[in-house]
Amino acid sequence: MSEPLLQVRGLAKRFGSLRALDGVDLDVAEGSLTGLIGPNGAGKSTAFACIAGAEKPSAGSVCFRGREIAGTAYHRVAALGIGRTYQLVQTFADMTVLEAVTTGALLRRPRLRDAVAHAQEVLAFVGLAEKRYRLGRALTIADKKRLEVARALATEPALLLLDEVMAGLTPAECAEAVELLRRILARGVTVLMVEHVMEVLMPIAEHVVVIAAGKTIFSGSAAGAVRDPAVIAAYLGSPLEHSEIAERTP
Amino acid sequence: MTARPHLYALGAIVVLGLLAAFGLREAVVLDLIFTLLLYAVLGQSWNWISGYAGNISFGHAIFFGCGAYASALCVTHGLTPWLAFPAGALTAAALALVTGFPTLGLRGHYFSIATIAVAALVETFARTTPWLGKANGFELPIASGWAALQFPQKGPYVVLALALFAAVQLATIALERSRLGYYLRALRANHAAAASVGIDERRCKLIAFAWSAAMASAAGVLYAQYTLFIDPPSTLALAISIDIALIGVVGGIGTLWGPAAGALVYVVLAKAVALRFGGAGKGYDLVIYGAIICLIAALRPYGIVGTIVDAIRRRRGALA
Repeated sequence: MSEPLLQVRGLAKRFGSLRALDGVDLDVAEGSLTGLIGPNGAGKSTAFACIAGAEKPSAGSVCFRGREIAGTAYHRVAALGIGRTYQLVQTFADMTVLEAVTTGALLRRPRLRDAVAHAQEVLAFVGLAEKRYRLGRALTIADKKRLEVARALATEPALLLLDEVMAGLTPAECAEAVELLRRILARGVTVLMVEHVMEVLMPIAEHVVVIAAGKTIFSGSAAGAVRDPAVIAAYLGSPLEHSEIAERTP
Repeated sequence: MTARPHLYALGAIVVLGLLAAFGLREAVVLDLIFTLLLYAVLGQSWNWISGYAGNISFGHAIFFGCGAYASALCVTHGLTPWLAFPAGALTAAALALVTGFPTLGLRGHYFSIATIAVAALVETFARTTPWLGKANGFELPIASGWAALQFPQKGPYVVLALALFAAVQLATIALERSRLGYYLRALRANHAAAASVGIDERRCKLIAFAWSAAMASAAGVLYAQYTLFIDPPSTLALAISIDIALIGVVGGIGTLWGPAAGALVYVVLAKAVALRFGGAGKGYDLVIYGAIICLIAALRPYGIVGTIVDAIRRRRGALA
């Protein structure tokens, strides 16, 4: 087996005396969609922030394409090829959709004309082309999330980190988002996604990593995760629920 | 997207300005035009760091002062005042880098506070340093001609100010259509999201601040050559920094024509109010001017040009 695109070992993050992360291990294979799940407060978003460079980890290693990147400045991580979205959307409020995506595209295409052309292509890809002259702040929540994905994709990442992109979407919008995810994978982009709702991940993630209380407690197939006693105890609650879910899962 | 309408507008202003410079003889009107252009340049300079990048500077007078003092020093040391353009710009840019380096990556108001502190330091330094003329400042020896950058009439000064204004507007049009311009706007809107697409906040803002300082310095050179007398209160005072910031805010921050609109309002309003209610020492003009600024700030927080841009966007359905 080849070396994973992203390899995280013993990742720890302390905020004062709070141990938000206390030994997270995870591997993301190139070209895969890996899910990162865990109960509320498990440290999913903190792990994301440490991988993306928004937070400096207190200990541990983050290896991307065979290179140690833990503690690298946030903006450099994007240049290395990691794009991300935020759990709470962070739009460039007074930019149009096209301008915001162009801003992402400028990372690899310093000439504005090239960046705009690439942004147009990405907007068509995610299905926002008709809304390109709208302002970011005037979009619906589903479109804002789409815009975040487009902005990250425009930086041409090898690895895309998606933080709860499905949260707050209607079932129809979720279905559209899943379809978009499949096309992103088909484009050759590797995806690591945090998702709170397990049902969303089950059908699309080849591999899931479960963290609880800042530690990795499971790594394997989605079907395996729901049968794993440690996962069930931490994430799903009582053994009774465990058996129910295990039966329902094909 | 296209820059063409802006270029036409700028061309029209340049033509009108040249007609005024060569056609008008009224010193009062030419003085008004010169002042207006200089303030428009200072407002645009401020706009680069405080409008596009969103870090409010309350110390812009010192960059203006760098140019003015560079000019005075060149002339009193027998050098050509043209040398003051690069010398003042480099000094101003260096001051900007020193002020911005520790503060432009920080959240909160550290940058604004630092600009006030550095401005106070620079003013005190000038006030107490013999080779900077201490509190007396400099009187520039009278000369004449393009080499000496001094003229008996006001027309050539208007031409120079017009050239500087045009250069600064062209630079800003280029900024808006460049990677740096997009990056500054992104940083102003959301610094975390900006970092996530690879934007180096400190680097971008330092570049913008250095250019901003250099532009203000060029205005300072023209000012010194125009008034032929400079001292700390007329070139380095906090009051000037605040005037510059007000012009930027009133016109509309982060817009191409905002500073020019702000300067127009500032100069016309200040003169009109002073003519109507002024008179030595009463200060009514300042009270009324202050009240108008407060009204604009309360009712139209995006400034004059910002309000117009919003209206256009609404018509085009960008906000629908």
